[in-house]
Amino acid sequence: MDFPFPEYNLQYMLPEIFLFVWALVVISFDLLSKRNNGSTTGYLTLFGIAIAGLLLGLVGNGKGFGKMFINDNVAVFFKVIFLGAAFMAVGSSFGVMQKKIVNHRGEFYALLLMSTTGMMFLSSSQELLSIYLGLELTTIPLFAMAAFYKDDKLSVESGIKYFIIGAFSSALMVYGMSFLYGLTGSTDLAQMKVAFFKTHLQFGDMGIVMILALIMLAAGIGFKLALPPFHQWAPDVYEGAPTPVAAFLSVGSKGAGLIAFAKIFVDGLYAYHSPDMAPNDWGMLIGILAIAAMVLGNVLAIRQTNIKRMLAYSSIAQAGYIMIGMVALSASGIASVGFYLFIYLFANMGAFAAVAVFEDMTGSCQIKSYAGLARTSPFFSAVMAVFLLSLAGIPPLAGFLAKYYVFASVVDVAQRSADSSWMYWMVGIGLLTTVFALFYYANVIKVMFFSPETSPYKVEAPLPAKAVLAIGVIGVLLFGLYPEPILQFATGISSSLHFMP
Amino acid sequence: MSEYLSILIFILIGTGIVLFTFLLSRLIRPHNPYHAKNLNYECAEEPVGNSWFQFNNRFYIFALIFVIFDVEVIFLFPWAVAFGQLGLFALVEMVIFILILFFGIFYAWKKGALKWV
Amino acid sequence: MFYYLALAAMLFSIGLFGVLTRRNTIGILMSLELMFNAANINFVAFNKFIVTDGLTGQIFAMFIIAVAAAEAALGLAIVLLIYRNWRGIDTEHYNVMKW
Repeated sequence: MDFPFPEYNLQYMLPEIFLFVWALVVISFDLLSKRNNGSTTGYLTLFGIAIAGLLLGLVGNGKGFGKMFINDNVAVFFKVIFLGAAFMAVGSSFGVMQKKIVNHRGEFYALLLMSTTGMMFLSSSQELLSIYLGLELTTIPLFAMAAFYKDDKLSVESGIKYFIIGAFSSALMVYGMSFLYGLTGSTDLAQMKVAFFKTHLQFGDMGIVMILALIMLAAGIGFKLALPPFHQWAPDVYEGAPTPVAAFLSVGSKGAGLIAFAKIFVDGLYAYHSPDMAPNDWGMLIGILAIAAMVLGNVLAIRQTNIKRMLAYSSIAQAGYIMIGMVALSASGIASVGFYLFIYLFANMGAFAAVAVFEDMTGSCQIKSYAGLARTSPFFSAVMAVFLLSLAGIPPLAGFLAKYYVFASVVDVAQRSADSSWMYWMVGIGLLTTVFALFYYANVIKVMFFSPETSPYKVEAPLPAKAVLAIGVIGVLLFGLYPEPILQFATGISSSLHFMP
Repeated sequence: MSEYLSILIFILIGTGIVLFTFLLSRLIRPHNPYHAKNLNYECAEEPVGNSWFQFNNRFYIFALIFVIFDVEVIFLFPWAVAFGQLGLFALVEMVIFILILFFGIFYAWKKGALKWV
Repeated sequence: MFYYLALAAMLFSIGLFGVLTRRNTIGILMSLELMFNAANINFVAFNKFIVTDGLTGQIFAMFIIAVAAAEAALGLAIVLLIYRNWRGIDTEHYNVMKW
């Protein structure tokens, strides 16, 4: 392809540029077309996301804008996940659009596309400034989307809570970044690494400032990932926000936080360690967060009566499992994280899509209103059960493999390194919490299938939602039995990150 | 140091003049307050209500739109300063940026956010 | 140099304190702005005294200003929604969801 201004290599940015322009197209289309144009805007958005995916496949790997924008294996992998999440979120939003957001479709979809653009920029960034901008571009549209039901108090409440927490966390993060910049003299992660090797910032003189900066960065990203102790916003936001938004949040925002975490902490800062702090201790810190997330998320999920809140706590726990893969700080660990996120995309987006369909029909998100649904709509119930069982990690489904790879990567590292008994402990606790998880996932299935009464509802999903459910089920079943392609894809990402020997 | 000294002298003279005129007018003006004189000035009309009241919501929407477009102009300054060395690419970029801003204001206009309802 | 960093730290602490203790949502927004500006001062000060080659710090500060403005605008918009729904903007109003 021939591009103007070849020195900037703009072609590598093509998917993002296209997605942003498409957001403007969608919003103008909705503005200029008639009041109620059916679902055309939604289909237009789906089409745009598909084109962006196609472009992503075409552009290939390379660098643009100096070092600011890099399209490597990691970036492409995460971009695929983000585009998938956007696609499934849009697909499951048609019912909501018909009922609640009739006059603001264009804005909704444009915001969603812009947020996706932000995530994609984030996964290509190699530099603190672009990481910050990517995170902000991801979250600012999400604030607006969480508060999208303007007259629904729950939605507005979730919007302001998410806004305050989100802005607070990015303020923390950016303050931490300013210290990193001052200490290392650069915002470029690669140059920061060099600075660490040269100067060996230590405790004492400037080391304490460094620790402070790292804590702030970790807190800022922890908020985005909803890792305990920074998780309190997640259930409220998931409950109040429109269901497709909650779905998009659960996968997209989590993925964005994860990639930022991986870039800053795993890739950028692994060289930072003082004499008192072995590189292994990084892993231990992450491990403590992971354990807290698994235990807290799974235990609190048990007592929920609202299915969106339950899924919120479950997603906190899932973030814990994902972080276990980070603990290993090894190539196989990162690959297992990628695999987990990919499977999580199918299972979680599918589950949220099912919840959205049910909510559009009945207006209820209570678990008890699912009672006896298997009698009237057996197919829908079976689909929902598949998603929940995959999230729980039951063998033939893909969720089991994802959990298996994550735990296996940690055990593998633990066997090779000395002084690693805590890793076994962590794996043990993780396995134990999956039992708790099974309990609440199975509870929903029990309510649907083994309840004495017959449900008054018969579920009928609009076509796009059906497609999303189908994609989810196929993904979960297919990759459970035949995981090789995704595994290969995920293993590719480890070649772009750097690890300790 | 001597430059700072001259600045200090300027400050002193400036304050002195203001103080002096206030003092002078205080000494020579007549002193006769009555009710209408003590009211807030509102174009010579009798003011209605307290000046500490809640502003209408609609003001905030205008303020919001203003804030956004006001602050985004910040990117124009470094661009203008370095324009000589940047060349065509920066010009095209800035045009695109401003077009996007224009799109924003156009959208707000079309949606009726600028109308006083 | 020290004074700039101290000023930034003070601003940041005031902002942090404000976010955590304020009852009024607008007050929280203002405190958030203080926190962002603390980071700005840090960036510019580091750029002036430590990392003297390049302008990365100043550019970073500029981007923070712009993003913070966008964020503040969105926050104010949500505050307007809150006012419409509850006729007041104190934090006690919107605390329906718990656990």
